[in-house]
Amino acid sequence: MIDGDLIRKQLLRSALPVLLLVLCAPWFLDTYTTNILVRALFFAMLALTVDVLWGYTGYLTFGQSAFFGVGAYAAALVFTHLGFGPGYVILGVLLAMLAALLIGAVTGWLSFYHGSTPLYASVVSLVLPIVLTQVLFSGGTFTGSSSGLTGYGMPDLSVEDWFRLVGCLLVVLTTVVWLFVRSDGGRILFAIRDNEMRCSYLGINISVYKIALLIVTGIVAALAGFGYASFSGVVAPELAGFVFGTEVIIWVALGGRGTVIGPVLGAIVIDWSSAYLSGNLPYIWKLFLGIAFVLVIVLLPQGLLPAVFKGFRRFLPANTSSRALQLIQAEPKPVELEPQSLAVELKNVSKNFGSLKVLSDINFSASAGELVSLIGPNGAGKTTLMRCMSDGEERASGLVCIQGHEIKRIAPHQCVQLGLGRKFQTATVFDSLTVGECLRIARTRIDPPSFWRRSAQLSLPPYVLEVLTATELDQKLDVVTSSLSHGEKQALELAMVLALEPRVVLLDEPTAGLSMPERSLIGKIFIDLTSRFGLCLLLVEHDLDFVREISTRIVVLHQGRLVLEGTVAEVVDSELIKTIYSGSVGHA
Amino acid sequence: MNLIFDILTTTAILYIVAAGLLLVFGVMKIINFAHGAFLTIGAYASLIASQLGLTPVAGFLFALLVGGLFGLMVERLVLRPLYERPLDAILATWGLAIVIGQVITLLFGREVQFVPSPIRGTIVLLGAEYSGYRLLLTLVALGLGLTLALLLTRTRIGLVTRAVILNEQLAQGLGIHSQLVRFFTFALGAAIASLAGALITPLSSVDPNMGVPWLINAFMLVMVSGVSMLSLLFATLIFGAAQVLISSYVSPILGGMAIAVLAAITLRIRPKGFSRD
Amino acid sequence: MHKQSMPALYGADALQVKAMTSGYGALMVLRNIHLSVASGSAVAILGKNGMGKTTLLKSILGFLPKQSGQVLLNDEDITTMPAYRVARQSVSYTPQEQALFADLSIKDNLRLGLPRDSLLAERLTAIYEIFPFLQDRMQQLAGTLSGGEQKMLLIARALLSRPKLMLIDEITEGLQPSVIQRVANALSTERQRHGTSMLIVEQNVEFALQVADHYIVLKRGEVVLTGLTREPSALSAIEAELAM
Repeated sequence: MIDGDLIRKQLLRSALPVLLLVLCAPWFLDTYTTNILVRALFFAMLALTVDVLWGYTGYLTFGQSAFFGVGAYAAALVFTHLGFGPGYVILGVLLAMLAALLIGAVTGWLSFYHGSTPLYASVVSLVLPIVLTQVLFSGGTFTGSSSGLTGYGMPDLSVEDWFRLVGCLLVVLTTVVWLFVRSDGGRILFAIRDNEMRCSYLGINISVYKIALLIVTGIVAALAGFGYASFSGVVAPELAGFVFGTEVIIWVALGGRGTVIGPVLGAIVIDWSSAYLSGNLPYIWKLFLGIAFVLVIVLLPQGLLPAVFKGFRRFLPANTSSRALQLIQAEPKPVELEPQSLAVELKNVSKNFGSLKVLSDINFSASAGELVSLIGPNGAGKTTLMRCMSDGEERASGLVCIQGHEIKRIAPHQCVQLGLGRKFQTATVFDSLTVGECLRIARTRIDPPSFWRRSAQLSLPPYVLEVLTATELDQKLDVVTSSLSHGEKQALELAMVLALEPRVVLLDEPTAGLSMPERSLIGKIFIDLTSRFGLCLLLVEHDLDFVREISTRIVVLHQGRLVLEGTVAEVVDSELIKTIYSGSVGHA
Repeated sequence: MNLIFDILTTTAILYIVAAGLLLVFGVMKIINFAHGAFLTIGAYASLIASQLGLTPVAGFLFALLVGGLFGLMVERLVLRPLYERPLDAILATWGLAIVIGQVITLLFGREVQFVPSPIRGTIVLLGAEYSGYRLLLTLVALGLGLTLALLLTRTRIGLVTRAVILNEQLAQGLGIHSQLVRFFTFALGAAIASLAGALITPLSSVDPNMGVPWLINAFMLVMVSGVSMLSLLFATLIFGAAQVLISSYVSPILGGMAIAVLAAITLRIRPKGFSRD
Repeated sequence: MHKQSMPALYGADALQVKAMTSGYGALMVLRNIHLSVASGSAVAILGKNGMGKTTLLKSILGFLPKQSGQVLLNDEDITTMPAYRVARQSVSYTPQEQALFADLSIKDNLRLGLPRDSLLAERLTAIYEIFPFLQDRMQQLAGTLSGGEQKMLLIARALLSRPKLMLIDEITEGLQPSVIQRVANALSTERQRHGTSMLIVEQNVEFALQVADHYIVLKRGEVVLTGLTREPSALSAIEAELAM
């Protein structure tokens, strides 16, 4: 694969010299510096995990230090109470990984549930290290309490050899992380950070993804802690603490969040400097760091590295592929045909906001090949109805079936898995990703992405390709979404939803903000989708001309009730419509 | 009986410490991680006051003033640019806390210092002998709560502040300068935090890092209370009692983290916490 | 696209919008809007949903940044003035959604309509004449009122400050005919007594024709029709435009 070669070339260009540097450096540095740097290298590994979680996924965590501390204490406890030897090292490593797994799973379950807020997740990440340090304090002589543990058996390696070993591991880890965030699967991190709702509605189970990420980074952090304890020969509860956790955040913020290299350099440089400057002017140095931190957060939120190294970007791993993405046609998955079952069915659906009845007793169904438009004045409940169809927890009562399956109380990503797609009124796409990357993520459910490779090809069903060619988005696969026009974003979102190969598509005001030619284009596409490909489309619309041109059936909602249903001819010219829309209830 | 007093006074102290943070959270929708630092500022202000020979009351007023002034500066310079980035606001205020901590260390040194208590010794109340100062603090907490409640509900400025808390855009459409409201509310929150710091120094001691454990507890209490002063009272009572009971009967270490853990679990079960809606 | 100039009937213009283009982020909802409200007159903004009516009011008030164009209030340029300051220039704004503080009492909601509490007592007597039901319910929470009562409270709050210009967004939505009539009467009376200028966004064409002197119709963010409401052909012209 051509792209694979490109990655390998970039890797060789950047990683090999660094490896060489790592191997040779101990000859030029004195023992004291090397000692400090080894510690810093372990911290850099920890910083990498924080960058993945915070810089890339948007999860502000103060708790990665807890994992580091767990790993460190696993080493110290095993070596202190059981002994030192190859077997014990393996035991210690396994214990560290197991503990990290459990803690990560519990923390993830607590933080990443359907409906949790970023603030709450950060709160939990704060409580974790506090709890852990308290546990360590209360451990008596077993954990060494506030003095920690020291004097246990350690590997017999020279400082220089430690440096080479840890340095190489760090280079490998950095490369792996970089490959991951560049990969198709890694792009999901950006997608989650940009727009969680869109991810859910693409069938991605965000909670599971985040918990898995937390567990993996937790294990890595624990292993780094394990190594640290094996090297330094002393562990203290502060390693697992909240203050250390915030120091890691400072390194990542100053180095440059979301850059992989930035946090590594930030951790190394700051820790190294702290060791030297702390001796002479400890408080001035911390003061300076604090001021720098505040200034960076307020003025340069992306961090120092991106700002300083703008000119040298050629030599650093790039974020965008230099090769254009190729689109190929895929055969849409065969539909499990159950000719009797309706695409979507609602029975007695109701919803209240407090005492206000937003929807009362909605009975409605639609089949494959229908293009149903849902119309009605503001406040009639149209968007609420769409929400009830796509999220099992929305409705107060009643039954909703998608493709013959009751949705009961399932979450949006599960509704999507039943064959539903939903397009929102405001273009809900991923602003920091390119068009091609957005489409790639949209295919996640059908075509799971690789977590270390970045494919040069993307297969999409024919109707998606039609949308892309008709709107000329296929010429803009490398363009970042935030710079697209409003109409283009709407088209992209439509393409993404269709890439799911849904059988039922909910569209909320798809023509809002579109120009006349864009409208007729999208109208043609909708008709095609239903007549040629047998999808069932449900539209919420205000543009009665548009509705008249394309619908096979119109449903009218007014004050939460379904008041009229029928063909275009029956509904659009009816008296009821005129009165509802012109607002006059009789003559004043 | 002593246990009941312990619970009441602990609740009172937690309430005094958290009240300023809640006010700021309600109006500005951000958590001020420099709250602990303002606490420390107030503590050192009262230290200065006592070293200058001022009366305790003057010391408290001095702390109030110093805190308010710092609050004005911080809002203008640090918080205003971060209005749209709440998570970054947490980080920036934490950075500020570090800066303040280091400056205090540079000016006053790292040693633990002491401020004499305005009321020494114990009082006999309801058949039990209990620290007079702690009982006094209970009264102060009540007074503070009442003052804030009256301020919010009985004054025009309180009404305007409540409007900004409930719906900032609507308030602006009615001619309210919401920016100014946020400015002064933050200063008030900082002033109260500073006062709290001054009030708690006689109980233990003064050192540059004293604010951190209080910050965590106050933060968790505010998260669980939403934007209501009444919910805060409720939360401090329940969690304060939990802390005291667990510390006394199980272990002081578990008691120390009781508030944080219970609050996190409460929020998981009921994301609105103790607020009414 | 039709654009008829509107003659200044009463002297200087209370509000002038010149070539304004504005919207949300990259999306320009309104394009090249020209509109003026002569002092003491009322202009209705008509059009179907999503056509930009609310965006127009929000842009005038200053809640949305304008990409280009000018807004003049009594010949003073308020194009870049923040919303709270525009409101203080004796402009009252009645939004379509979230217009009341549901958790505050009727009295508190009214108080917030005035810059100072001291004016409240005397102004309230005038309000009680128009909406007597408010008098006994001052302590009731605004959120517990019925839909129609809430709208009347909104009008009361707007009138309380004796504004020179009122911006009203779809006040009749969800109201029954009798209440609509009361609101129309209240607005007409206000204009007669104090010469208040009004810019009224409406979907209810008959109400708009009753209350306003001029009308403009917005379609997809542009002005497509203007006219005088007293012309007999107004209703049919508007209905024809909306039905298209």
